Amino acid sequence: MAIQLLLNGLAVGSVYALIATGFALIFSILKFSNFSHGALMTLSAFVGYFVSAGTGWSLIPVLIVSMLVGGLIGLFGEFVAFRRITKRNSATFYYFVSSITLGTFYESIVTIIVGAGYFVYPMFFSKPAIWIGNFVIQTSSVVMLGISAIVLIILVFVLQKTKMGRALRAVSYDRDTAYLMGIDVFKTISIAFFISGALGALAGVFLGIYNYTLTAQLGNLVVKGFIASVIGGLGSISGAVFGAVLLGLLETILIFFIGSGYAPVATFLIMILFLFIRPQGIAGKSVQEKA
Amino acid sequence: MQFYLSVLTLTLITIIGVAGVYVLTSLAGMFSLGQAAFMAIGAYASGILVVKLNWPFLPAAILAVLISVIIGFFVGLPTVKLRRDYISLVTLGFGEALTAILNQMTGLTGGAAGFSGFPKVISFPIVLVAAIICVILVAFFKKSKYGRQCIALKGDELAAKAMGINVPKVKMIAFLFSVALVSLSGVLYAFYVTYVDPTLFGWKLSGEWVIMNFFGGVSSLTGSILSAIILTALPEMLRFLSDFRMVFYAVVVLLVLNFKPAGLLGTWELTPKNVKKLFQKKKEGTHASSGK
Amino acid sequence: MLLQVSNISKNFGGVQATKDFSVTVDKGEIVGIIGPNGAGKTTIFNVISGVYTADEGSILLSGQNVTKLPQHEITKLGIGRTFQNIRLFKGLSIIENVMCAFDPQSKYSFIGSIIPTPKRKAEEKRGKELCEHYLEIVGLKDYINEAPENLAYGYQRRLEIARALMCNPKVLLLDEPAAGLNPTEVGELTELILKLSKDFGFATMLIEHRLELVMGISHKIVVQNFGKTIGVGTPKEVQNNPAVIEAYLGAEEEDNA
Repeated sequence: MAIQLLLNGLAVGSVYALIATGFALIFSILKFSNFSHGALMTLSAFVGYFVSAGTGWSLIPVLIVSMLVGGLIGLFGEFVAFRRITKRNSATFYYFVSSITLGTFYESIVTIIVGAGYFVYPMFFSKPAIWIGNFVIQTSSVVMLGISAIVLIILVFVLQKTKMGRALRAVSYDRDTAYLMGIDVFKTISIAFFISGALGALAGVFLGIYNYTLTAQLGNLVVKGFIASVIGGLGSISGAVFGAVLLGLLETILIFFIGSGYAPVATFLIMILFLFIRPQGIAGKSVQEKA
Repeated sequence: MQFYLSVLTLTLITIIGVAGVYVLTSLAGMFSLGQAAFMAIGAYASGILVVKLNWPFLPAAILAVLISVIIGFFVGLPTVKLRRDYISLVTLGFGEALTAILNQMTGLTGGAAGFSGFPKVISFPIVLVAAIICVILVAFFKKSKYGRQCIALKGDELAAKAMGINVPKVKMIAFLFSVALVSLSGVLYAFYVTYVDPTLFGWKLSGEWVIMNFFGGVSSLTGSILSAIILTALPEMLRFLSDFRMVFYAVVVLLVLNFKPAGLLGTWELTPKNVKKLFQKKKEGTHASSGK
Repeated sequence: MLLQVSNISKNFGGVQATKDFSVTVDKGEIVGIIGPNGAGKTTIFNVISGVYTADEGSILLSGQNVTKLPQHEITKLGIGRTFQNIRLFKGLSIIENVMCAFDPQSKYSFIGSIIPTPKRKAEEKRGKELCEHYLEIVGLKDYINEAPENLAYGYQRRLEIARALMCNPKVLLLDEPAAGLNPTEVGELTELILKLSKDFGFATMLIEHRLELVMGISHKIVVQNFGKTIGVGTPKEVQNNPAVIEAYLGAEEEDNA
């Protein structure tokens, strides 16, 4: 039982990690909380649903198409909602309003297309559960954990080892200096939004699979990613991953004991507890304002 | 007629909520995605007191607002010392937690089916008076020592501290004043509509209040009220667009964000002095043009 | 001794911004801090005024240890400051900028902030009069309702000084008050600093690159280089100190290069 719980927790945590990294990437580069991320997840989860329903493809191609579309939605969002604000060097206030409005925009599109209905998400696996010795584990959990881990490893590799990753880190560290060093800042920001969108889409499809159903409310689960990011340290990618896995595990264990209804209360309390104990987050260094 | 009166009453209730968010966001520069949750606390707490415990309305309303402020204190406590980004995330988490509680405690709250049975105590005149009083209180607050300290720390926390401003304390005062106002709007809403359910108070409502504050003018109370009226009435007027009205709404706000970044009124306020100035300018303008 | 700073050090992620810095400043005294860019001069001010907490060392203000206190409490105990890169409050008029420094001292309650109680009216009036008084001292009385960003650079610096005066400082920290001013303005500023020091009797610390200003009015000068003190003394003594000449002139040459 314990191992099953652990594996489920890790699987949930890995999906939260996808959400949290997509969120943290934008936070680190433009220093704002992207509240449209949840609606982007919903939108892409529906893309995954319709692609699968329309073509009958297997999981991997559906994921790839969804991620591409998610990335494009990310690019679109950056262009219509954030580009001018960044160019104007506006206060965080604008990003906040803009991201919420953009989220409203995406959600109203979802509402127009699908209404308030429930959709049964496709089951991509012929065997819903796997037996390992005496344990029964949901196939979806294993697949989610595996794919998320691979994607996150690729992401870390890209950020650490490639020229693109260096550009991303440079822009997030100091946009003006990066510009002076000849980095195309807006191209780099666009790339960040593309990656963030693709990660959000992957998370969206996984959440659809994990919950079996898909509604316009799926995006509300983005809160988990935000909380994971707070626990891990705002803007830190590795912190987001740690925070998410920790959150996934704690939540799964808590749900086992107190039931799923109060789970949001538990996650909220976990976040508050962390803010009191370690406000800078797991990975965060306390950032001091320059005087 | 009945329909318009009801739209008007709901708009006035929105104005009280928006005035609360104005204190928090436009003055102190903090973004909460959980203010609607405090509206819910106001509505549910007063409802439980009146419907389940047979309290009279007025003490129930006062106690409900007080309960919201006390809960607000504990939600605010971990955030006021941290970077601003935290308050929106913490209040968002709080809102989700509260929704879960409202859904779960079915015996007390009616759960997802909603809470009904509120006596219809509130009518248009009461809401009108309450809205006017709230707006006046906020206008006084803006011109008070706390209002100024809010604007100061919104722009530069470090310099504010160097002037002796106790930044966490002032942030907390702004947060709790805001909580009291939105909570009051929740009480009024519940006893006007006579029914509430958890979905009414999601973070999107909080977000919408922030949008209204921005849309009217970056730090203008007049603008916030004006945009509360426009943006509440707009979806109502656009009913013929049905599902497309929210798209339209979002596009309008995005256009303003991109092309009129100070909002409709910028920082302009409706005060006798400013109105006079406006007319003088107009006169000068006509003189100049007639001289040509 | 009014201000006694003993052996303070401050590290930023391994970079020693200030090491083992000590200074004493007495009532009516003006102490200048000079040194090339990156010598950690502003860090000293930030530690004294509580923006950063010192890693080591202590700061005594009129004998009271303020080393670990939060920034706003240190201000209340009597340390006022200005900033190298002017930090005025946007969205507030000139008089309101000064009022912000009065507000933490203003004695009316929350109720008074939402209803115009007699107490509020009295306190606001008292504050306004003080603001006008300080703005008159720095020569800004005619502009009280303007927006600060409409002021010329030199006037913005004066507004910062008025704001600092409103904090009732026992110690006034001026961070490059003459940066960006023309020679006439530097002359006026020199007079103002001397006048304030004489009239208010507070201890003044001054970071400045304009040597004619700092040498002209300081009783004592501390020379910093790479976070360390390399010379202390009267302006004359410092000018003749070989270590100072080497470090300072060397750096000047680099600046020119």
